[in-house]
Amino acid sequence: MLAWKMQAEKQGYFTIEEWRRGLKALRADTIIKLKKALPELEKEVRRPSNFLDFYSYAFRYCLTEEKQKSIDIESICQLLDLVLGSQFHSQVDLFVQYIRTQVDYKVINMDQWMGFYRFCNEISFPDFSNYDPELAWPLILDNFVEWMRAKRS
Amino acid sequence: MCQELGRHIRNAYNMVLHKFGEKLYSGLVSTMTFHLQEISISIEAAQGGLFLEELDRKWTDHNKALQMIRDILMYMDRTFIPNTHKTPVHELGLNLWRDNIIHSGKIQTRLLTTLLELILRERIGEVINRGLMRNIIKMLMDLGPSVYQEDFEKPFLEVSADFYRAESQKFIDCCDCGDYLKKAERRLNEEIERVSHYLDPKSEIKITNVVEKEMIENHMLRLVHMENSGLVNMLLDDKYEDLGRMYNLFRRVPNGLSTIRDVMTSHLRNTGKLLVTDPERLTDPVEFVQCLLNERDKYDKIINLAFNNDKSFQNALNSSFEFFINLNPRSPEFISLFVDDKLRKGLKGVSEEDVELVLDKVMTLFRYLQEKDVFEKYYKQHLAKRLLSGKTVSDDAERSLIVKLKTECGYQFTSKLEGMFTDMKTSQDTMQEFYAAHGAELGDGATLTVQVLTTGSWPTQPSVSCDLPAEMSALCEKFRSYYLGTHTGRRLTWQTNMGTADLKATFGKGQRHELNVSTYQMCVLVLFNNADRLSYKEIEQTTEIPSSDLKRCLQSLACVKGKNVLRKEPMSKDIGEEDAFFVNDKFTSKFYKVKIGTVVAQKESEPEKQETRQRVEEDRKPQIEAAIVRIMKSRRVLDHNNIITEVTKQLQSRFLANPGEIKKRMESLIERDFLERDTADRRLYRYLA
Repeated sequence: MLAWKMQAEKQGYFTIEEWRRGLKALRADTIIKLKKALPELEKEVRRPSNFLDFYSYAFRYCLTEEKQKSIDIESICQLLDLVLGSQFHSQVDLFVQYIRTQVDYKVINMDQWMGFYRFCNEISFPDFSNYDPELAWPLILDNFVEWMRAKRS
Repeated sequence: MCQELGRHIRNAYNMVLHKFGEKLYSGLVSTMTFHLQEISISIEAAQGGLFLEELDRKWTDHNKALQMIRDILMYMDRTFIPNTHKTPVHELGLNLWRDNIIHSGKIQTRLLTTLLELILRERIGEVINRGLMRNIIKMLMDLGPSVYQEDFEKPFLEVSADFYRAESQKFIDCCDCGDYLKKAERRLNEEIERVSHYLDPKSEIKITNVVEKEMIENHMLRLVHMENSGLVNMLLDDKYEDLGRMYNLFRRVPNGLSTIRDVMTSHLRNTGKLLVTDPERLTDPVEFVQCLLNERDKYDKIINLAFNNDKSFQNALNSSFEFFINLNPRSPEFISLFVDDKLRKGLKGVSEEDVELVLDKVMTLFRYLQEKDVFEKYYKQHLAKRLLSGKTVSDDAERSLIVKLKTECGYQFTSKLEGMFTDMKTSQDTMQEFYAAHGAELGDGATLTVQVLTTGSWPTQPSVSCDLPAEMSALCEKFRSYYLGTHTGRRLTWQTNMGTADLKATFGKGQRHELNVSTYQMCVLVLFNNADRLSYKEIEQTTEIPSSDLKRCLQSLACVKGKNVLRKEPMSKDIGEEDAFFVNDKFTSKFYKVKIGTVVAQKESEPEKQETRQRVEEDRKPQIEAAIVRIMKSRRVLDHNNIITEVTKQLQSRFLANPGEIKKRMESLIERDFLERDTADRRLYRYLA
């Protein structure tokens, strides 16, 4: 979250600029103030208008190599839990279970990542009654819904 | 008489002139009415059959009188009557007849009943006086359309409906479909004839409608589905006449033809489905395809002879075939095998026109295939084998088929196939040049024939090379250096799994034979020039032929009756790794030239099938992507469903694209930054230049 606020480019590193920028935005110039600012920050992140940006940033943050476009399944599972776990607990649990068992995809790309967030927001759970595979949902979600339906019956 | 007439006319004239027109007119009316009432009584008095005759006679008289009266009162007709808007004389005469005779209580009903009874009698087979009928009916027509319709036609139609309803019920309970239709047709023709003889022509359509409705429309479904004699039975037994009759009768009623068509379609689809899924049929691909062709011919003939070449029936035939042919995923392969069989031997000695006929028929089946790209793959494989083994019956036939495929599918489909033909021709030329250049030094050794194949055009084969016997490999090297000398920048790889060899062999008792074998078999046999006994392992090591091929090769040399030039110990059917091989000195054959099984195009084994299917799927991916890119490049922005539709349409001529697969390709293109999703509307995609 801090990295997002600072708009840090590289995972695990903050440049002086980024550091300054972020702390200025948080109005914190001491560690104590920084600690105090964190809950506020969390609220800010959770605000719907910001969350989408935060969510997509989280993905990009994990692209450590140059020209890397996708993230391996295991890391995605961790990231999903971290970022969406509290908000969409059951969906994340099931989806994580699914992508660990399927064999079609070994990595997840940005398009699929963003697709999942929309999915959680728009599709009724747990019945998926308003899901239409003929629409432009990423194929991995079509397969996920199919897997869920098969599991249920 | 003339003088009398003249006097009457003059009198009439004078009366009108002197303003006595009214008196004259009303006098006419009352006189005629009185007269007619008397006639009415005399008609009513007529007994039985004389009733109509009397009516007819009196009518004739009345008409004659009317003529005369009109002549006499012509001046009044022309002056007084128009001025006073009274009914003209002739018309008046008819109206009075109508009111006093036809509509008289005692006559009206009796007239109708009599007419209808006569018609009924005629319908059950009796002969009636048609001339009399004609006169009476004409009288009614002359009295005005409403008289004809109200006093005759309407009741006639009602009574006819009752009659035919009863008759059709009786027939349908006791006749089979064919007979019933014959009867219905007869009745229809009878009614038409009846109208032409003594009814108003305008009644024809009305009475035929009645017959059609009662006899056909009401019983359509029962007829079509009649057990043992209905439509399906007629189709199975090629009953062209009955089918033609059914078509002609049913086309007269609403939904008639569509009923026939629907039953035919579902029957076709069912039999077709059984045909293509019958496990027994599937063991013989050539028979399978022949059955399909026969079925198609059968229905073509039926539609031609019985269904008037009706286009909608043709379409139903085509859509049914398209439906069930694609139920079997092996149909493309089987059609190619059928063609292969024909081009190898089936069309031997057949005239050019007949060859074209067969090929055209094959093309009609080809058109039904959804997975044309699968056919292409198999066709290529089979063609390659035919060309390389020189086993094609007619070069012209081969080329003719390629042209047909090109016309159907475009240049792309056949360009590689044509490349194969070109390679064969070029190789011939190359060989001539090679021997022209080096013939002398090669002397009396083995003769080499090389076919140089362009890699892209021919089906990909895993190139496994075996160890050729020394003299052969030396020859091959000479060719290689010659070829590369004249074609720089190329690479040659020997395909030893595809070649053949002719060997001259002498056996133990001096029998001489020329053996036509595969390259692998040649390698094995040549080894026995230097050894009497060889074990499997020794052969394998020396020749380096891959083991599954080697086993098949040895089996064809040692285990096939009549072709066993080698002897094997033990004498088991299968090749074991511990087996030992000897030349079969006792080998005999009544032919000098012995051909030892080169593998003919077989139905694929399971793993081979999977592999081919996989390759087809792999090939489809770039085609789908190319289609997506083409479409997006021209449209720039397009929504998901439309992309799927457009892509499917573009690829239709080669295969049926799977929407899931299209989606996958699009995601791949998004990842590679060819496309992006629209940020606002997630159903839209955008082309990234």
